[in-house]
Amino acid sequence: MVYIDSWDEYVKAVEQLCLEEPSKFRFVVKYRHCEGKLVLKGTNDKVCLKYRTEQQQDLKRLEKLNNILMRHMASK
Amino acid sequence: MVLLENEAFLTRLTYLYNKTRTSGTVWITMKAYNGRTKPIPRRKKKDKNALLEMEGSESKCLIRATNGKKKISTVINSKDVNRFQQAYTSVLKGCLDNLKKRERKTAKSKKAKATQ
Repeated sequence: MVYIDSWDEYVKAVEQLCLEEPSKFRFVVKYRHCEGKLVLKGTNDKVCLKYRTEQQQDLKRLEKLNNILMRHMASK
Repeated sequence: MVLLENEAFLTRLTYLYNKTRTSGTVWITMKAYNGRTKPIPRRKKKDKNALLEMEGSESKCLIRATNGKKKISTVINSKDVNRFQQAYTSVLKGCLDNLKKRERKTAKSKKAKATQ
């Protein structure tokens, strides 16, 4: 399991994974308030993409990614 | 697993976040959902028609949240995506507030305070 450091790379990889096999893809947001840590995980049970952050600014990016993924999942 | 309406889910989610302020973690999972609650029978998996039928059904988005003890979930229909998205974002903004602010800014404000 490897963490991806660059956000842009992460978004690209997650989106691609989501489009590859939409029915098997899931996206997890894990937040631990006492430590102020946020971990994102996108997986299709074969490939696992993770990103971790403690920065507030990543929340805005997460919102955008959430938006995109939810559209993909609930489109049609 | 408690399946809730969209609004009720967000209220409970806020509650989960508030409960884990001093210790604990909250997980939110998001996945595509086509209304099926049972796995496809094995022999049908090879059947292309069954697969097509599955893909043809309206896709929704299933969201689950847990703190390790309580589980809640909700289903978003495609027509509700925009509305839910906005509400969900505001919940996240309100609850995920222990993250670090941008470093540059804090460094600047510290300097400003020091010079005052």
